[in-house]
Amino acid sequence: MADDKKKGGFFQAVKEFVYGVAAHDSARFAMKTRASMEHLFILITMGDMLGVPILPPYYSLRLLPYVVPQISTWKRRMLREKDLTDALA
Amino acid sequence: MVRISLANIFEQYPDRHYIMFGGKGGLGKTTFSAATAYYLAKKGKRVLVFSVDPQASLSDIFKKDIFGKGPTEIMPNLYAQEIDADRRVKEYQEEIRKKILEMYGMEKIPEEIESYIQAAAAEPAMEESAIFDEVVDIVVKGGYDYYIYDLVPLGHALYYLSMASVYDEWIDKITSLRQQMREYDQVAAVIRRDKELDEDAILNELLYIKDRINKSSNILTDKQKTAFFFVVTAEEMIINDTLKAGELFAKFDVPLSGYIVNRVLPASLKEQNIPEYLRNRLTMQEHYLKVIDEVFKGQILAFVSEMERDITGLTMIEKIAKNMFGDF
Repeated sequence: MADDKKKGGFFQAVKEFVYGVAAHDSARFAMKTRASMEHLFILITMGDMLGVPILPPYYSLRLLPYVVPQISTWKRRMLREKDLTDALA
Repeated sequence: MVRISLANIFEQYPDRHYIMFGGKGGLGKTTFSAATAYYLAKKGKRVLVFSVDPQASLSDIFKKDIFGKGPTEIMPNLYAQEIDADRRVKEYQEEIRKKILEMYGMEKIPEEIESYIQAAAAEPAMEESAIFDEVVDIVVKGGYDYYIYDLVPLGHALYYLSMASVYDEWIDKITSLRQQMREYDQVAAVIRRDKELDEDAILNELLYIKDRINKSSNILTDKQKTAFFFVVTAEEMIINDTLKAGELFAKFDVPLSGYIVNRVLPASLKEQNIPEYLRNRLTMQEHYLKVIDEVFKGQILAFVSEMERDITGLTMIEKIAKNMFGDF
């Protein structure tokens, strides 16, 4: 039993190492792209919050509950001014 | 000349369950909707006539307050409904608030979100969208042989139609973006060997909205199931505007079934001793009736007389119905 566990632990470690070397970056990239798309999506559906009405409000209200957590970060991202620190980020 | 009559159209196309009257404001759309509902109900069909106009007048014509009361029985087989858009918007806002509170276990809606909910409801398009949405409810629910839409005046009706197609396109675009996002989610999940991916609730909502919009625009453009009639009167401006509107409606694939001429002064008046003023009106009418005959050749289904008093109450509605459909 203990041997099995040790073996499993070893393989697990190898697996995680390989993942880290080979795939972690692509996963991160996919997630990052996905995140910008999320912002684009909220702009399209909730645009009238910034004064850009795109989807008819009756239907954007239907989607509102799902994007409540993203609203504040999204507004910040869309409205922030560009300055020097942006280049550092 | 043999004319196809309005009654013939209803006999020939029994599958046309959705009946609409369009035309400029004040020409008699509500009157014809009510009279057609009356005729069909007398023929033993179960009929619902409902108004998509925020300034509805079905209550006036049936002399019964039906505003916001759901389908109300006027006489056997005849039901009428006026949609209370304001109330529907309020209920809808409340539904959204409740959903947010439940989803996140909040005590109170965040200020930013609340102000958005309120601002969205103040948009002018909101009322129309709410009515549009309720019409889908009415039609999906079923239970009637005929649905008669008491439409808004022309400009608005066009807006209503174009709204359906614009919505449709937008939702398509947004849905495909959402699907693309989903693919990225899947890629990340595969790479990270996550076994399960949560269902995308937003995508499901979008598909639901798309389905609702499609249902109503499909009805508006279904040649098998829908009959759309235009109301005209013998006046130059009305004829011109109706011609233009006819072309626009055709662009949206609305199946035009024909035209009904309203407010025709009885020609027999001419033989009587009438004042100059009325004689001039009659001469003018004669001229424009000829014009109507030419421009809407073979598509005129009925001529309805100007009545001696305004049309309210079932007795007057019956009189109009007999004028439209002949004795029944």
